[in-house]
Amino acid sequence: MIFSTLEHILTHISFSVVSIVITIHFLTLFLLVDEVVGLYDSSEKGMIVTFFCITGLLVTRWIYSGHFPLSDLYESLIFLSWGFSLIHMVSYFKFKKRKNNLSAITAPSAIFTQGFATSGLLTKMHQSAILAPALQSQWLMMHVSMMVLGYAALLCGSLLSVALLVITFRKAIKIIGENNNFAFSFGKIQYMNERSNVLLNTYFLSSKNYYRYQLTQQLDRWSYRIISLGFIFLTIGILSGAVWANEAWGSYWNWDPKETWAFITWTVFAIYFHTRTNTNLEGVNSALVASMGFLIIWICYFGVNLLGIGLHSYGSFTLN
Amino acid sequence: METLLNPSKTPNLFIPKTHLFKPYFRHSNFNPQPHSSFNRRPVSITITCKVKTSQGRKNDGKNISKKIVLTDSAPELSNEEIKAKPKGGGKAWGVIKKFPKRVLAILSNLPLAIGEMFTVAGLMALGTAIDQGESPEYYFQKYPEENPIFGFFTWRWVLTLGFDHMFSSPVFLGTLILLGTSLMACTYTTQIPLVKVARRWSFLQSADSIRKQEFSDTLPQASVSDLGVILMGAGYEVFLKGPSLYAFKGLAGRFAPIGVHLAMLLIMAGGTLSATGSFRGSVTVPQGLNFVMGDVLGPTGFLSTPTEAFNTEVHVNKFYMDYYDSGEVSQFHTDLSLFDMNGKEVMRKTLSVNDPLRYGGITIYQTDWSFSALQILKDGEGPFNLAMAPLTINGDKKLFGTFLPVGDTDSSNVKGISMLARDLQSIVLYDKQGKFAGVRRPNSKLPIEIDGTKIVIVDAIGSSGLDLKTDPGVPAVYAGFGALMLTTCISYLSHAQVPEIVESSISKKPDSIGG
Repeated sequence: MIFSTLEHILTHISFSVVSIVITIHFLTLFLLVDEVVGLYDSSEKGMIVTFFCITGLLVTRWIYSGHFPLSDLYESLIFLSWGFSLIHMVSYFKFKKRKNNLSAITAPSAIFTQGFATSGLLTKMHQSAILAPALQSQWLMMHVSMMVLGYAALLCGSLLSVALLVITFRKAIKIIGENNNFAFSFGKIQYMNERSNVLLNTYFLSSKNYYRYQLTQQLDRWSYRIISLGFIFLTIGILSGAVWANEAWGSYWNWDPKETWAFITWTVFAIYFHTRTNTNLEGVNSALVASMGFLIIWICYFGVNLLGIGLHSYGSFTLN
Repeated sequence: METLLNPSKTPNLFIPKTHLFKPYFRHSNFNPQPHSSFNRRPVSITITCKVKTSQGRKNDGKNISKKIVLTDSAPELSNEEIKAKPKGGGKAWGVIKKFPKRVLAILSNLPLAIGEMFTVAGLMALGTAIDQGESPEYYFQKYPEENPIFGFFTWRWVLTLGFDHMFSSPVFLGTLILLGTSLMACTYTTQIPLVKVARRWSFLQSADSIRKQEFSDTLPQASVSDLGVILMGAGYEVFLKGPSLYAFKGLAGRFAPIGVHLAMLLIMAGGTLSATGSFRGSVTVPQGLNFVMGDVLGPTGFLSTPTEAFNTEVHVNKFYMDYYDSGEVSQFHTDLSLFDMNGKEVMRKTLSVNDPLRYGGITIYQTDWSFSALQILKDGEGPFNLAMAPLTINGDKKLFGTFLPVGDTDSSNVKGISMLARDLQSIVLYDKQGKFAGVRRPNSKLPIEIDGTKIVIVDAIGSSGLDLKTDPGVPAVYAGFGALMLTTCISYLSHAQVPEIVESSISKKPDSIGG
């Protein structure tokens, strides 16, 4: 009872803190006041609080359920949101607390997954379920945590690529007159990049192309880095899953839908790396592949569970 | 040494595969080329080296010199290519000789490889979208000709192309094989030569030749050994030979993509071996009974050869389940004894899900269970064994039932007691009218009286569902898995740094460093 209360409290704290963080992001965008640096710092502190709340949430669940908290969809969603906040934290501390465009991706991603996990749709799944015999293995921790961390990193990386595409195509269609909608997303990330507001004001006037170029280059490099990291996690996750399957089901590869889709994801990101080796295909083309990967991850992570087919049906929806 | 740098001065030299070096940067998949760095200065690397090849030995053992410029702008190379046509032999012979090379060049083409990967991904997606392994009638109904999906997709497509069993269909396997050959071709033609280049460098000995290189600098007051120490400190691997120095960085980044490709090939080879050389089989054995491994195992391919261990007899000593407090099953256990041909027990182990038994290359997995029989005492007589039949009433949940005739068993209208069970833990009993009579646990010795008949449930006998297999491909596949994980990590760690090569030598002062 204490545990479930604690869990409840932690869920709500983390959710509300992320909401506040997002609000601050929006405020700094629209108001463009001078005190934004202070606000930005507070939003970073908010993300740290969120990170520790979600960590606490997972640890609580681990203690009272007695198994690694990754046995169903709800837990894996929480873990995904933890993965986003982890990536956020790592990039924040690694790059000397400088602003980087990654935080524009990680914070909203964290809130969306957190929000979805805690939303009414999945209330039935909040109760920690018992562990099926096939899941009682040390491999659970390795396989699922690697997969979900891989998903988190790949989602971040491919979102950066989507941002790159948005910017590039905005240039292509040239809707300079009414750039309210598009300038918003661009300006948001642009803001993350540039410390001074002066740049933001002059950007539309003279040095437009130069900063756009610099921004696309940065987005490209960041998405490449994050995707590479996620690709390692995905590789380790798939392979440890195969080894586990050879222990539990008697075959290291069963062409189970989830397995197949994980392999499709892997293939798509392998294509991404191959497109990047060619200078002609680099940039927009690789970003297109990565955006495709974004959709495929969601099919792999959610779509297969939605149908509840195959051997990986532990985390399927039960809406009855 | 000037000839080393200018191959064009030695016109009778045959320069093979020079054109194949060029696509390197398109092909090494974790290529750390400095495409998008601002804080790093873009480095275009010029390696000058001396490579001995087999063709080189053919040509009177002459050393062949090449200049390989690892940038995309290498106009003089294409000129060499035209000059370097093989002299001997007629036109036809030349075509035959060139054919494998041309095939290699086509296979190692990057857009083709990307296309193959897309095809594989698409086919796999299709394989999950179409229900696999159903009867043709199912597909006739699901994909009717009158109402084709997307205007063209009917059951004819599914059955002709074998999409009802996608992952063993010729289309899918063919694409995989094509991808495998592309992997091999790419590794052979573009990746391995590059490592050779990295390993067989030559030391530039004239200061002039160094100064000709694109990124060279002159340090008037430096000594070579000092430079070596500085470079080592900066993470370069430094080699000194006489007055010359060679240093490079990021060699692991060159090996890693090869490693990734070789690991993929190893996994593919292991998978092929698994598919062609395995034995598989599953059996449901009631507690207390025996089976011989060889009777269960069936070959999956033409390479499957049985071993001595197939004569082993397996005895199921006990099958039992663990339960959670809520009553749900937490784990299945089967206690097995293995006997060889002489009847000697060679192994005994209790296996469970996630903990298979391995003996002589055969692995036994706990995969399923069933309810074999119910042992009861009827009015103190018995014990009788009532066979339990699986009932499929609501979905996939396991439900078993049996029937004990009561009274006149010869009449046409037999009535009796029904017993139902979901697991080996509790038995639900119903009387002659089908009304609920009570629940009893096996081993509880608590009798229940239904319609004047006293029944004691003595024991619930389960059967263990076991999967058996031999798989000669597993070691290769696991080795490939290990290699793949390792090389993926290495390529991540090394693509953080740009490969840079520093060569230097002293001839006379001033020193020159060619980068």
